[in-house]
Amino acid sequence: MNKLVHNELLKLFRKKRLFVIILIIAALVPLFTYAQYQEVKTTREKLGNVDWRTQLQQEIVDTQNRLSSSRMQDDWRKYLKIRLAQQQYYLDHNINPQAPGAPTFMRVFVENSIDLLLPLLVMVVAADLVSSEASGGTIKLLLTRPVKRWRILLSKYLALILSVSFIVTASAVLSYAISGVVFGYGGWGMPLLTGFSTSGEELVTNNVHLIPQWQYILMEFGLVWFVCLVVGTLTFMLSVLLRSTAAVMGIMLAALIAGAILSNMVSSWESAKYLFMVNLSLTDYISGMATPIEGMSLGFSLIVLLVWAIGGLVVSFAVFTKKDVF
Amino acid sequence: MRKKGLSLVTALSILSALVWLAGLAWVLQDQFFADNKNRQAESLKPDTAQQQKQNSSGKTLQIAAIGDSLTRGTGDPDGKGYIGYLKEELAKTTKKEIELTNSAIKGQTSVQLLKQIQQPQIQRQIKNADVILLTIGGNDLFRGGQALEELESKNINKTEDVYLSNLKVIYKEIRSLNKNGIIYHVGLYNPFSDMQDSKTTSSIVRKWNYDSANAAAAQPNIIYVPTFDLFELNVNDYLYSDHFHPNKQGYQLIGERTASLIRFSEEDQK
Repeated sequence: MNKLVHNELLKLFRKKRLFVIILIIAALVPLFTYAQYQEVKTTREKLGNVDWRTQLQQEIVDTQNRLSSSRMQDDWRKYLKIRLAQQQYYLDHNINPQAPGAPTFMRVFVENSIDLLLPLLVMVVAADLVSSEASGGTIKLLLTRPVKRWRILLSKYLALILSVSFIVTASAVLSYAISGVVFGYGGWGMPLLTGFSTSGEELVTNNVHLIPQWQYILMEFGLVWFVCLVVGTLTFMLSVLLRSTAAVMGIMLAALIAGAILSNMVSSWESAKYLFMVNLSLTDYISGMATPIEGMSLGFSLIVLLVWAIGGLVVSFAVFTKKDVF
Repeated sequence: MRKKGLSLVTALSILSALVWLAGLAWVLQDQFFADNKNRQAESLKPDTAQQQKQNSSGKTLQIAAIGDSLTRGTGDPDGKGYIGYLKEELAKTTKKEIELTNSAIKGQTSVQLLKQIQQPQIQRQIKNADVILLTIGGNDLFRGGQALEELESKNINKTEDVYLSNLKVIYKEIRSLNKNGIIYHVGLYNPFSDMQDSKTTSSIVRKWNYDSANAAAAQPNIIYVPTFDLFELNVNDYLYSDHFHPNKQGYQLIGERTASLIRFSEEDQK
């Protein structure tokens, strides 16, 4: 088994996929860093004041002003109210949620890339794991060996898990290392609040507690890893089903982007919460953002994603061991 | 070389898989199973030392603005409001750096303002301010311009009584937070002075202003800044298209008038 996995990793390595992904992340992170830096700079200029409390208070007032406008959709209003309660909580407890530093950047980066960017990168690796062998014809050579088919597929899947882990680690390390040049490398111990949950319009704070930022980040990356695995598994399934890598990529791409669009418009279509792509923003539960559909919670989303992943795995193995290869 | 690289990546991948799995497990433990009663966020102690450090330098002029949409700047296409123009005017006359915090909320009435100034951050801003700007009462009186037909004297007197008692508490509250800062309360104008019934509306606004000015005079260092006269003629030239809030020119008038009241000592002048 070890050798099989090693063999698969070797293929991935030779194709330079991981290398390309690292390059992509390394190119994007400076971009985001610069954007974040500019944002910090303009808010400072606008306020003429560097005290974050004033800034947060100003944000709260701005939100209150927006809330008093009559032309506003209900779910947006709800979102703003939750945000407001949370900002007020931070302010009252004297916690700066935006303290500069590379760890904070990492956190913001991962929260914003969990539903699209990182799944896309994972997709690039997973999309042609099997289908390229089918379209290239090498699958015949692979299957003529005296190894059971499920073992071959399993070795491919394990290689996928390893590369997903590698991608997540690479994005963590790169975002930390690059943004730290601008923001400084400190700030791991900053306390952050988590455990917000929403019921209706209310922000439930009775489970709210503080954790240091390093733990917060570790938790968020754990969730990112999970999301990437699920997306990877589903791509893997498609890769087994379809011969064409382009088709696999197209379908996954459409699904992921549809998820990003749907999250903004499904608030009244309740059964949409069983779609995997609406559940990808797991980090929002940690930071206490409003959910796209009422009734969603961290546990719910984890289970939905898990079910989809298991379904994907079952289909992959069932099809791969049975299908005729020609 | 190649081989080494691969095994390095493999080892790294396995290691990171374990780390992220641990992270995921921690999420489950933290969000679902932990007993959070013992580690409530309340235990946090605010770093008061940092809060005190402000206002120590004499080089800056701190302005805290509170109130309603007039202070917010509703109707000004540039979003500055009279505060923005006031700041520009002051910048011409002083060397001091002007730090402005605008905490006004559109549609705020005196009751809501009373609540808002209980918030610790707002209190901190007021405490640190050299100048406090305030507009309030417009929403009590006009309720967004919808209550024109109801301008019966009985109702008006009642609303005014409520407003005045709120205003007195607001003044007192600000004074107790900040003993020396000067409060400029910008008065009301009559946006309806070119309509029928303008006599009635104008007299109501005049009385309202008069009573507010009386309340202001009861406390030291509260300046009630009249704006009624500014808008009396040509009111339409100075109003925004909602026919209620000032437009850019209107805000400029208010800003210039208020700025002209703020003087600086010799050394701070330009």
